[in-house]
Amino acid sequence: MATTAPRRAAVIGGNRIPFARANGAYAKASNQDMLTAALEGLVARHGLAGEHVGEVAAGAVLKHSRDFNLTRESVLGSSLAATTPAYDVQQACGTGLEAAVLVANKIALGQVESGIAGGTDTASDAPIAVHEGLRQALLSLNRAKTPAQRLKAVSRLRPGQLVPEVPRNVEPRTGLSMGEHMAQTAAQWGVTREAQDELAVESHRNLAAAYDRGFFDDLVTPYLGLTRDQNLRPDSSVDKLSKLKPVFGRGDDATMTAANSTPLTDGASVVLLGSDEWAAERGLPVLAHVVDAQTAAVDYVTGHEGLLMAPAYALPHLLERQGMKLQDFDLVEIHEAFAATVLCTLAAWESESFCRDRLGLDAPVGALDRSRLSVNGSSLAAGHPFAATGGRIVASLAKALHEKGSGARGLISICAAGGQGVMAILEAA
Amino acid sequence: MELREVASAPSLGPLFARAALSQKGRGGQLPSHGLRLARLEVDRWRLLDYQHLCRFTGGDVLPHTYPHVLGFPLQVALMADRGFPLALPGLVHLENHITVHRRLTTADRLDIVVHAADLRPHPKGTLVDLLTEVEVAGERVWEGRSTYLRRGRSAADEQGAAPAGGAGAPDMPGGPPAGLLRVPEDLGRRYAAVSGDVNPIHLHALTARTMGFPRAIAHGMWSAARTLAALGPRADGPSSSSVWFRKPVLLPSTVELLVHDSPHRAVAGLVSGRDERREHLVLELHT
Repeated sequence: MATTAPRRAAVIGGNRIPFARANGAYAKASNQDMLTAALEGLVARHGLAGEHVGEVAAGAVLKHSRDFNLTRESVLGSSLAATTPAYDVQQACGTGLEAAVLVANKIALGQVESGIAGGTDTASDAPIAVHEGLRQALLSLNRAKTPAQRLKAVSRLRPGQLVPEVPRNVEPRTGLSMGEHMAQTAAQWGVTREAQDELAVESHRNLAAAYDRGFFDDLVTPYLGLTRDQNLRPDSSVDKLSKLKPVFGRGDDATMTAANSTPLTDGASVVLLGSDEWAAERGLPVLAHVVDAQTAAVDYVTGHEGLLMAPAYALPHLLERQGMKLQDFDLVEIHEAFAATVLCTLAAWESESFCRDRLGLDAPVGALDRSRLSVNGSSLAAGHPFAATGGRIVASLAKALHEKGSGARGLISICAAGGQGVMAILEAA
Repeated sequence: MELREVASAPSLGPLFARAALSQKGRGGQLPSHGLRLARLEVDRWRLLDYQHLCRFTGGDVLPHTYPHVLGFPLQVALMADRGFPLALPGLVHLENHITVHRRLTTADRLDIVVHAADLRPHPKGTLVDLLTEVEVAGERVWEGRSTYLRRGRSAADEQGAAPAGGAGAPDMPGGPPAGLLRVPEDLGRRYAAVSGDVNPIHLHALTARTMGFPRAIAHGMWSAARTLAALGPRADGPSSSSVWFRKPVLLPSTVELLVHDSPHRAVAGLVSGRDERREHLVLELHT
């Protein structure tokens, strides 16, 4: 039996469409439209038209039932060879990064030579379901065999059932929105309003600067009239943000506003991965390699841990396996679901008791030099189309590491609904 | 040729009404002038609705057939005019030919010129071509030729004229269907909303009956666009297509898509009917 020793998958490039605010520029675009647009930009940039790619893995968090084969349908609508297999992945906001890890692992094992990972989400073109009572009545009607059974099924219909079910951003088990969960964790860690607003302003400033220096020229393809992320406010300031009213949390201590929380957003992103040989055959430069990845989950249902704190738990596993310290990373990307998410995670790693009691470490992970954090902006500025965030971060971190020079290492941390977290390490080629 | 500028795409409802009221006593020569709509900016949301209805991918690339939709109001304006020799109501779209010289996007400002040409006899009446030419900054990027038939007494020699099925049309592809298209009853109204073509034969069974159809019929250019969409994104770039329309698709119905594909040429057809086969169109695409 032939076996292949694991090798490191290369991050060759990425592409996304600018992210739009919900009910903005992409209000009428579907997930399939956006994912196909992101794929087509990647195909054009890397000369992949008509090419067979090992596999495409992508997903969406808010998904219509008709989109059961979303990624494969998008591949068929693209210029990639129709022989390119595809499958859907779904791990809430971790979808895009998890998809990249899955593809990278197959490349590492020699099961495929190339692959594309990504994600798309629309909060505008959201799936609306029928009322549960109506759904049950219709299913009974479908099962009914006799006129009496049909009559009974129809008799269960009520006018109130015409009100549709719209997807809501709440945890099914707690009924609390993600923002409410985060507000509890933020209060627990004593994260201040000022610190959150400063992080939000920094995100806008960094993203705007990255656009201005052309950093995204080979990472973003204009779509439906947008050339930059619609949510980006380069002139954002702590002074302006301080005037906003809190939207999550209770009472005078509430700190989370619309500006230091990510807005609902539409968009799609993809990343091109491959073996070094595959890239070399096509003359495509390699930006970085996928070194390692780790997922974690926490028990948030009983209130034992905050909903979005799982990445804090994933990190020690990665550090131990790689023999690294947090401070060894040249660049760190912590997805800004909320500014408070980033600040709570950093605070937890600095806390001696948290690291000892929760992570089982002898010494705290320690502080992170903030100048290494999300240097080209992150979700607070760009927006966060759930499944598209992973691809956005992988591509821009790979490029930023490549700019730093061979051997530079970067860490990606993404929290996800359900108390989960996905992390990965990239190293510049 | 004299070109008359049109400030914006005319609304088709009033034009159809005017054409219907002035259909008597037409004849004579084709108008010597053409109509020009300059620097047209594509409405992205209307384009998205069109792309979704025809099953193209929604985005900034104009589908192969979209400039036809943009130029169609000019065709109607030309034909609705009292001076046009053929009456518009009952005119049958027989063939449509399109050449895409380069991929077009919503960033392009389109100069669209429409004029009529080649009024000629046909075994079943009289044919005319409506030519649509699209330029961007002086560069010819797209052209279309729509051939319409006015049924009536023919001056053509029955033996020598072109067959009704369309001269030059390829054979209908054989084999099992590549796909089944379920064409809903409200398609005509939905296509009218995205194309502006409110021709009553497409809108409802009742309005179609007044024009001699048993039910409303699918718009030929929807059927052609839907067939092209089934062939994938290859028709977005430089390519040429020809479609020959045969029997109309009655709404609602389920039609079979037949495809014969080769590297640079695809032939596709739409047929329906288990017992008695009805051929709706045959389309040839060169890429």
